[in-house]
Amino acid sequence: MSPNSIDDILRDALRQEAAETAGGLARLEERIVVELGERRPRLRVSDWLRQLLAPTRGGRIGQLSVVGATATICLLLGVFIANQAGLTNTSPGIRLTPTLAEDGNQEVLFVLPALDASDVSVVGNFNSWEPTALEDDDNDGIWTASIPLSPGRYEYAFVIDGRWWGQDPLADEYVQSFGEYSSVRYVGGGDGA
Amino acid sequence: MIRAARAQPLVTIAFLLVLGLFAVAQTPQARFEQALRAIPVTDTARPLAAFALGLSQPDFPAAEVIQLAERLAATSYSIPEKEAVLLSVVVAMEEGLPVDGLVTKGLEGLARGIPVPQIARSLHQRLILLAETRDLLYAKGIFSVAPGSPQSVPTALPTPRFNLLITHISDTIADYLEGGGSPFEGQTLLQEVRFRLTTLQGATLKVEDVELVLKRIGPADLTRIALAAVS
Repeated sequence: MSPNSIDDILRDALRQEAAETAGGLARLEERIVVELGERRPRLRVSDWLRQLLAPTRGGRIGQLSVVGATATICLLLGVFIANQAGLTNTSPGIRLTPTLAEDGNQEVLFVLPALDASDVSVVGNFNSWEPTALEDDDNDGIWTASIPLSPGRYEYAFVIDGRWWGQDPLADEYVQSFGEYSSVRYVGGGDGA
Repeated sequence: MIRAARAQPLVTIAFLLVLGLFAVAQTPQARFEQALRAIPVTDTARPLAAFALGLSQPDFPAAEVIQLAERLAATSYSIPEKEAVLLSVVVAMEEGLPVDGLVTKGLEGLARGIPVPQIARSLHQRLILLAETRDLLYAKGIFSVAPGSPQSVPTALPTPRFNLLITHISDTIADYLEGGGSPFEGQTLLQEVRFRLTTLQGATLKVEDVELVLKRIGPADLTRIALAAVS
């Protein structure tokens, strides 16, 4: 074997190796990209929330606004779904505004949330301070009674398991009577006496 | 014998029905007298005469007056203490003043379990306010005429409308005083009265009646009334 042929063999071998290395490097980049794609961690909901709530410099307000917007969307969705399903109308016929009855009286709704109460009634100058029972048919702790009242001013209080409660959140005003509070409801309508 | 046994429940039911009918057919005066005797008041003649006067007034709350007497009778207080509560109502009836506010306040006090002497004091104060308010309206040229009578002056209002004004003005002052307000705060008193009357105008009060009153009364008038009630 002549020295020239040895040189040729070595040159060919080196050229082939260089070509293979170049091809390998090119594929290496491709492989790394694929590998990274496969190894990218899947972001779970809890991780995502943690990231959103994590204190970061300058980005907190933006994150909170995202949370707020998400909560609002969820709330609206919930209300919409509940409305569609009829869940918000558990007590048919209940209206917070007085409705006009046939005899000119207005059906005035008295509502009181009293979760642990077993007996709720309303007393006032419309029933000579004799209890009119409120009802909670669906046991959701919301007690209601609809009472027909003619236009005028009415003082009243709720009686919850025997205890008087004179500060109805739906009252128009409060007055003190015998050192205790009474609620006041104005029932309007008509054109005067 | 068997027939008689079968008929016995029917006879009882019929008897109860007759009793029920008798109770329903009782006149308001008879029921009031019965309640007075249950207290028992020392003299029934005066309250009965006052009650008869009240019945001649339009919108007289006879049923509520009877209820007040009946519920007073059911309390364990002394006769003079119970009579003191009734006295304010009787005087108001005699004077031709509207008694709705007095009676409902008395019923409220009893329902709340307030001591009867305290109820009597509250009613007495409200009686003074009623009389003073009526006198104020008279002094301001606002009068009362029986419904259907000829209206001699434009400021003479039919009695029910006039009585509603007295009731609401005096009731507002009474509530204000009971809530710890000072009688010397005439401007605040006037604001309270204005709020009450304007809120009710178009509902139970005529707009023109409210305007008439608010045009003619001032802070000093209300202070004078309030002072008369607390002195």
